[in-house]
Amino acid sequence: MTLRTFLWLVPCLIVWAVLPFVVPRYMADLLVFTGIYTVAGLGIGLLLGHCGIVNLAQATFYGLGAYASAYCTVMMGLPSIAGFLVGAAISMALAYIIGRPILRLTGYFLALGTLALSAIASALFFEWDWLTGGTLGIGGIPKLNLFGFLLDRPSRYYFFVWLVAFACMAVARNLVDSRSGLMLRAMRDSSTAAAALSIDLQALRTKVFVVCALFGSLAGSLFAHHASFVSTQSFTVDRSISFLLIPVIGGATSIPGIVVGALFVTFLPELLSKLGDIHQILFGLALVAVVVLMPEGLVGAFAKLRTRLAKRGSGHG
Amino acid sequence: MTLSLVLQALFAGVTNGIVYALVGMGLSAIFKGSRVINAMQGEFAVIGAMMTVLLMTKSGWPYAAAIAGGAVAGALVGAFIEVAFVRFMARKNASEDSFLLLTIGLALTLSASVLFFIGRDGHLLPPLGGEGVLIVLDAVIQFHALWLIAIGIGATLALRAFYHRTTVGLSMMAASIDADGAATTGINVGHMRTFTFVLGGLLGALGGILVTPLIGVDYQLGLNLTLKGFAAAVLGGLTNPLGAAVGGLTLGLVESLAIIGISSSYKDVVAFSVLIVIMILMPQGILGRAGRRGG
Repeated sequence: MTLRTFLWLVPCLIVWAVLPFVVPRYMADLLVFTGIYTVAGLGIGLLLGHCGIVNLAQATFYGLGAYASAYCTVMMGLPSIAGFLVGAAISMALAYIIGRPILRLTGYFLALGTLALSAIASALFFEWDWLTGGTLGIGGIPKLNLFGFLLDRPSRYYFFVWLVAFACMAVARNLVDSRSGLMLRAMRDSSTAAAALSIDLQALRTKVFVVCALFGSLAGSLFAHHASFVSTQSFTVDRSISFLLIPVIGGATSIPGIVVGALFVTFLPELLSKLGDIHQILFGLALVAVVVLMPEGLVGAFAKLRTRLAKRGSGHG
Repeated sequence: MTLSLVLQALFAGVTNGIVYALVGMGLSAIFKGSRVINAMQGEFAVIGAMMTVLLMTKSGWPYAAAIAGGAVAGALVGAFIEVAFVRFMARKNASEDSFLLLTIGLALTLSASVLFFIGRDGHLLPPLGGEGVLIVLDAVIQFHALWLIAIGIGATLALRAFYHRTTVGLSMMAASIDADGAATTGINVGHMRTFTFVLGGLLGALGGILVTPLIGVDYQLGLNLTLKGFAAAVLGGLTNPLGAAVGGLTLGLVESLAIIGISSSYKDVVAFSVLIVIMILMPQGILGRAGRRGG
């Protein structure tokens, strides 16, 4: 770690640690959601930024995690950790089984395939009401209890969620920096050249898809314990789309970008909703503006601005 | 399972199939002409239908004129989107994904606008040919469904004739096959791309207007129609608008047979599973390579 990164990392961490105590409760609540969405968005960012895959199925795995947690704790009376593990296991298995064939598709077809998957899952969540409670949902999911410390307030749960998010970021970072990460980049930039270097594209893409599903499921379980109530409305195709927006808006290849994207999709609708019912239109327009004007996301646009300013500065000096 | 039940299901399948076909044909016309997957194709249907409803109820236009107005509205929105967004992004060499995300953003905006300006309620249009029904072997068929099928087939044939017989249609085909070559022969490739969006908007709006007397139109109709239109276009091979017509019919029939065979609640599950399987096993669509020619 260089001195420079240290110098900006420390103030960031301090702000992060103080934030839940100084902001109003509803904002602390939104910050918890930002953490949850960061976890879910990280997986999509890996797929989009490093494999060039548009994943519109994340709500499926998010839903699996949430329902696993809800069912294990409420219906079966198991400890919370069981829900996390069951959700993760089912999601990863499903991602592996479905990923093998579906990831043979490329480009639009793959985007459409994952969208179809999300539509199927959302219909099944609705139909299998013996498992999911249908539109009535499952309520009374207990708050997490960490060695006797009950995470019942947003300001407490905040730290747990964000520690999970940081751990996921570390995993994502390691994956990108590892040999697999190098192979991924080779694959994204020229899949033919990568194949010629005997990189098994299929296995690699499936691996990232499974990691993405794991993150989605973790986020779902975190959501279930935060909201205490899960129902089909939370796992529709719309939710898959808003998950995809996280890396798109922030910047898919950078991990801070995912956090920025998650902040955008949690806070912007909330801030705009003060303007009344028009907020959904403004959110759509904001999205269009980002896509048209900043193809590399907010973080990419910021970096570009900085190099331009630096160039101007050196030009004068 | 009786014969009349099967007949009823087949008929419902053809009716829905034609609507999916119209949406899918528009989608595939746009993809063919601009390489943009239009995730707001279903919103064209909502625009067309809502415009028709508003022209009839608020301005008191006669039904036929209102339908024409709705279709023109769809075409104009299509042209606007090409001129305002797609052209700008194409100049900056935007990636495939950015176009997809652009249209997703536009779809969200339009659906939210309908919710904000018109409201949550669904709206119906009067059925074409009146409320009457035709009874064949105990299966009930609305006159409107017959009109819908006839107009759908007419639109498909007209589209075929347009692509093969008119100068504009041939120029659009040329521009989509080889943009540089087309430009050398004096075709304005940029204008052709605008026309494909006009055509896409027109076909989508027509689909929306025709389906509204049966199921009504509200702000949520768009996404569902987009998904089904996508499926129809992919089944037909994506670059062939006439293939999308075959794809839409197939999808409608598979869905309605699934309703008899399994349960109506698994309709979407079956439709989308078929889509995934076809994409994996038959990447060229159900017509194979032959389907890519013509159209």
